[in-house]
Formats: sequence, C-alpha cells, structure tokens
Amino acid sequence: MPDPKRRKDIKEKEFLGFAKSYLSEAFPNPQRNGCPRDSELTRMAEHPNETAHASVSQHLTRCSPCFNRYIELLAELKTRKAK
Amino acid sequence: MAGAVPSGSFRISPVDRLGRRIDPAVLAAAEEISPRAVAHGMKLLGDLAVIANLLEEAGAIVTRRLRSQSSRTDSQPIQNVPGFLFICFMRKVNRAKRKQVVTVSLREVAQSKPSWTDPAAELDMKILVDEFLDHCDFITQDMFWRRVEGFSWEEIGRVYEMSAHAALERVRHVFQQVRARLKI
Repeated sequence: MPDPKRRKDIKEKEFLGFAKSYLSEAFPNPQRNGCPRDSELTRMAEHPNETAHASVSQHLTRCSPCFNRYIELLAELKTRKAK
Repeated sequence: MAGAVPSGSFRISPVDRLGRRIDPAVLAAAEEISPRAVAHGMKLLGDLAVIANLLEEAGAIVTRRLRSQSSRTDSQPIQNVPGFLFICFMRKVNRAKRKQVVTVSLREVAQSKPSWTDPAAELDMKILVDEFLDHCDFITQDMFWRRVEGFSWEEIGRVYEMSAHAALERVRHVFQQVRARLKI
C-alpha cells in the first residue's frame, strides 16, 4: 500500500521541462533592466567562469528574455560541437 | 497610506486588511520579493489588489513569527526572511486559487499542458524551481542551464573537468536538499 506521507516522485525530465517553460515566460522584463550584453552570454556559454559570470547566471533566474537567449546559445554550441 | 512600499504600480501597506502590523524588516523583504510575487500571483489569480492583500497577510504572519521567535529559544530561527515570506505568500496564493471557481473553456482544454493542469502542483513546482536556483552556486546553476538545454552529464562534466557522475551528484544534491526543506 502506498505511504501517503511519501512525496510524489518528480522525474528529472518533468522537472527540466517545467523549469524551461516556466523560466522562459514568467519574467518578461520588457524594459530589459539589468540585462547583460549578448557577448557576455556567449562567453558564459562557451567559457563559463564564476568570477566573470556569477551575476549573469543569477540574472537568468529572473529574466525570461535572457534565459531564452542563453538557452538558444547553448543549443547553438551543442550543435557546433556535434558537427 | 503613509509608509507604504512602492514597487512600480504595486504598493504594500504596513498594515494588512485585518489590521495586523508588518515589521519594517518584513516590509523590506516584501519589497524585495514583490516582482517575483506579482509575476506568480498575476499568473494564477490575475488581480493585483488580491495579490497585495495576500502579500500583506503573509507579511503579518511572518512578522508574528519573527516576534514569537525572539521571545522563544526552542523555535528554529528564520534565516532568510524574503524566502520565508515568499513561501508563505505562495501558500496563500495557492489557497486562494483553490477557492476560486474554475471555469475552463474548450480552447483552454485544447491548449493545456496535461502534466500541470493542477494549479497546486504547478505552484509547488514553481516554488521548487525558484528555491532550487536560489540555492545553487554558479557552477551548479550553469550545469542546470546546460541540462535544461539537453546536454548529457558527460558533456556537462567535461565543461567543468569532472566526471558525469560528479556533475549529476552536484545538481542532485542541491535539488534533494531543497525538496526536503520545502517538503514538496
């Protein structure tokens, strides 16, 4: 018999899919307040560095346009590496 | 109202609708979380006035908790007031959402995502994502971004010169810690 106190299992794919759709829409930031330059996002995708990019990564958690752009850059990087 | 906290067009009163006062530290925390709180609240409830009420009520609850904490030694202290306030607010939003009469159009049914039709489950997941990201350090956060984009653990491990297993464990550790803390 299932234990009612046991937490529901969250599958990794489910969590990642939810996070992607949530972060891509929940923080519109139309004024683009505090957004890093595209070159910074590109550098972080290619050569992530804590000292240089910690605030950029933190920004992605609160800005859907930048999150979407970073995901796009990672997708391009993945495609380039696959070739 | 004097002393109200402006946040764009959103204002938080230092007294909630039941007349309970909100501590200035909690009010400052409310201001800090208000962009996130409004974004979540608008998505679920769509009414700024209701969201302001709920945030004020959450603020009053956290104020009471902080006061009782200072007079008691056995209770666990609140380390992160904005985080605690946000969770308290989200629970209030969740409760308010459940009380709403749900009317679903056929178009909404056709467009809905089958996994997250339950607003309570969706809310829990949003809190989980937010808290998870807040607790990640830079490397873990970037590993997560890459995993979201479909990188394998081997690929992620290579970026940070560690094994796939070490990369997976690093992300999993934070995730499990946050889940256990939130009891989600």
